[in-house]
Amino acid sequence: MTTKNEPGKTYLMQGNEAIVRGALEGGVHFASSYPGSPSSQVLGMLGHIAEDQGFRAEWSTNETTALQSCMGASFANGRAICIVKQNGLLFHGDTIHCGALGGVKGGLVIVSSDDPDSHSSTNEFDSRHMAVSANIPMLEPASVQETKDMIPYAFELSEELEQMVLVRVTTRICHGRGSVTLGEIPEKRPFTPIGLWDRMVGINWLHGFLLEKLERAREAFEVSPFNHYTGKEDADKLIITGGTGMKYVQEALEEYGADGEVGVLSLGCLWPLPEKLILKHLSKASKVLVVEEVDPFLEEHISAIAGKARLNVEIQGRADLIPSIGELNPEVVFKAVREYLGVEPKCCGEGCPAIEGVNIPARELTFCAGCPHRASFFILKQALRQEGHKGVVMGDIGCYTMAGQRAGQYGYHFMSCMGSGISAAEGLGQLTNYGFDQPVVSLCGDSTFFHSVVPGLINAKMNEANILHIVLDNSATAMTGFQPHPGTGQTAMGFETEKISITALCESLGCRVWRADPFDVEETKNLICKLIGMKGLKVLILEQPCATLAAKTREKKKVWVDTDICRGSNCGCDGYCSRVWGCPGNIWDFEKNCAAIDEVVCVGCGACASICPSGAIKVEGGDAK
Amino acid sequence: MYCILELERKVVDTGICTNCGACQGMCPYWKSFEGRTFVDYDCDRAEGRCKYFCPRMPADLDALREKLFGADGCEIIPEIGPFRGLYLTRAADPEIRKNAQHGGTMTALVELALKEGLIDAAVLSKAAAAADGTLDPAGCLVTDPAEVRNCSGSSFQIPPTLAVLNEALAADEYKQIGVVGTPCKVLAVAKMKAKPYEDNDNHADNIGLVFGLFCGWGLDWNGLAELGDAAHVDILPSKYHRMDMDDRQVDLDDVLPLVRNACKYCDDMTAEFADLSVGGARSSEGWDVDQGWNQLIVRTEKGQKLIDLAREKGVLEFRSFGDEEAEAAALEKIMRASASKREKALKL
Repeated sequence: MTTKNEPGKTYLMQGNEAIVRGALEGGVHFASSYPGSPSSQVLGMLGHIAEDQGFRAEWSTNETTALQSCMGASFANGRAICIVKQNGLLFHGDTIHCGALGGVKGGLVIVSSDDPDSHSSTNEFDSRHMAVSANIPMLEPASVQETKDMIPYAFELSEELEQMVLVRVTTRICHGRGSVTLGEIPEKRPFTPIGLWDRMVGINWLHGFLLEKLERAREAFEVSPFNHYTGKEDADKLIITGGTGMKYVQEALEEYGADGEVGVLSLGCLWPLPEKLILKHLSKASKVLVVEEVDPFLEEHISAIAGKARLNVEIQGRADLIPSIGELNPEVVFKAVREYLGVEPKCCGEGCPAIEGVNIPARELTFCAGCPHRASFFILKQALRQEGHKGVVMGDIGCYTMAGQRAGQYGYHFMSCMGSGISAAEGLGQLTNYGFDQPVVSLCGDSTFFHSVVPGLINAKMNEANILHIVLDNSATAMTGFQPHPGTGQTAMGFETEKISITALCESLGCRVWRADPFDVEETKNLICKLIGMKGLKVLILEQPCATLAAKTREKKKVWVDTDICRGSNCGCDGYCSRVWGCPGNIWDFEKNCAAIDEVVCVGCGACASICPSGAIKVEGGDAK
Repeated sequence: MYCILELERKVVDTGICTNCGACQGMCPYWKSFEGRTFVDYDCDRAEGRCKYFCPRMPADLDALREKLFGADGCEIIPEIGPFRGLYLTRAADPEIRKNAQHGGTMTALVELALKEGLIDAAVLSKAAAAADGTLDPAGCLVTDPAEVRNCSGSSFQIPPTLAVLNEALAADEYKQIGVVGTPCKVLAVAKMKAKPYEDNDNHADNIGLVFGLFCGWGLDWNGLAELGDAAHVDILPSKYHRMDMDDRQVDLDDVLPLVRNACKYCDDMTAEFADLSVGGARSSEGWDVDQGWNQLIVRTEKGQKLIDLAREKGVLEFRSFGDEEAEAAALEKIMRASASKREKALKL
């Protein structure tokens, strides 16, 4: 991402870079975030340039603290940006509502990135409902250029209204690339002292002002350049799009030669909706198609506008022509546009020669080669089975969420949102005092521990929970790309800070804490068996650095299969190493009919040597880790 | 259905698993812990040896008997299975008798079979005391005749001995592996010998002499611990209604609740699928005389050869029943006892 002040010059940029550039051109003073795909990279990039560019960028322990920090920076008329994913925005819940009631001083922009189709999420929640609920203005870019342009505009709007502004983006914007013509990077504006009677207080008597701000936003949105109309004037057929919908629709209309007869209204200002602008086009149309990511948000609000105006217009979209779940893509939009227009397929539909016969094998999500989580869940499953199948495992959010699949031996029974595992376990574990007779185990990673498990742990301690809580400490926020967290001793801007010890924190709460190495398979299994049998709150910290992180610093040991010892298909286990253990480094040599190590993929942890029933896997030096 | 799930649901979950170990030692998934068999990975094979070897999975026992004993020409007695003869015996060596159950016949015979090369290895159960003083029996593979004596005596628990047999068979190192086992284990071994799973017989031809143990029931893993430690345990004839643990006498009513649930469904007292079966003597002369003696059912020609050899070498002492009438009465007594176990199992 360029930090050069070259207005008018065009660069190829990724959407996430455009957010960074937009923040820079918006004169940002403070940026904070908790990582979450698809916008995880944004704060990392901001952190890199922050010192040079004279602003503060930081990773927060969670999204709520991130937004609250931004509110503090805004109080002194600083411009603040908070970057989250859809779950992070939901985690904001209370803060965003109370914050909206109190309003802001310096511009405060929240960028929330949605993940339609949940490529790297557990859900495809739609951020847009939050703007409606909290009564704040919301924008959504349709291109990478617009993404960059919208951020400085959002700062301006935020200050004009004294209200935080939400910018919603989606995966294809964040990860897509496009040409971006740069604007000017302004001088950093000085802060304003907070006077004796200055206030940022969220209190109900401001409710009326809150709604009034929204109406002022609506007026601005009626004439905003972020809403575009193209195609035939006064069109009978009108397609309304939000976000990525515009590009897909343009392509489809060109394909079917219908770009002249159809009107396309692309909305960049999503809340409050510019009703007059919409009505102007809606009143001429008899048939409307709405194309947007995830929920039928525009579709329903526009239906309400049409209903209030008593228009006789048919409105289609996610309710019928487009599947009600999943991401937009050319296939989906082409099919919807075709059915909307009543034309025959030309390409990219069923039977299209371009895509017929293309058979890409499905690949399941799995842990990386050498991942300590694989060992942890392997051990946990063995321990629970040994104890008679009875233990219930409450999972959480992180790389280890994949343990719900084969990668982790289908390792947990419960998984919800971040931080939920320990508290759900606490509630379930309490029932052991009332006749429920299954041991309860909860899990979390180190980053999730700091994010939202700590209050749950305190709750568990206070209520004398009967659970085993396991912290899968891999010293990293691995899932999203190794962003610093309180346990790493690093910050977004590259400064060192004092590490917070999970063990010390737990012990300070009076918890009994054990520590073990998941690569010591037998020893750790016996410890888990012992802890499961003990009453009360037990905390076990399984320590082993993330394999991807360790691969950078740890010397790679040579791991190989002794083909004289490997029993091949006579193992009776159908490839215990390559299939059940399932590390991508463990492969099967179909020619020799025996196990093998993929030397390129293997990180040399040697953990598989301890699980081979024949002892055929050898490690240089003879020891795992 | 996946064979692991089928076995788990039909045998483990229903509580009829005896923990014999027949499903273990072939793959990494079936394991045993404190007398409990469990599987720690839901393997997705449709067919597997575990399912076919399990003595508690349904099988056509008549067909199995015909396959294994049909050519032998022995008499088949409905109550006690294939039969060639009944003997009262004990080990000639008093050192064996000192630590053995009853007369030490089994120890003497296995030792002999190894010495004479009738078998080249033996899979036995070792009732050795664990470090914490509790009995912690486990299977073991013995090739040195001198080690057989370490496995004398019974703890009345069921360790997964056959896991050791399966491992030994898979290694294909020994070609005549003898096995000593309770009726459940002997039935599993019989299933193995019949090679029920065509894809993989686990070198079943390497199974040698099968030594059966009479069995009324086994105890829960922790059952003995609840009754207190003992180096030697014995159950007296039914009229005494007691179990002796070293010098202590325990009322059988205190013992029966600790019987392994799976054993209540067992209908085989004399290990009918063995080459020979050994139990405590129960002659008409009464306990005072029988104490320290075994009764022995010989079933197959192979079994008979070993007994003849034992007589020839003076390894066993033989006690006469007295007359033919007394011998018939002793046989009648075993048949009644065996039929009674079968009846109880079927009534449950």
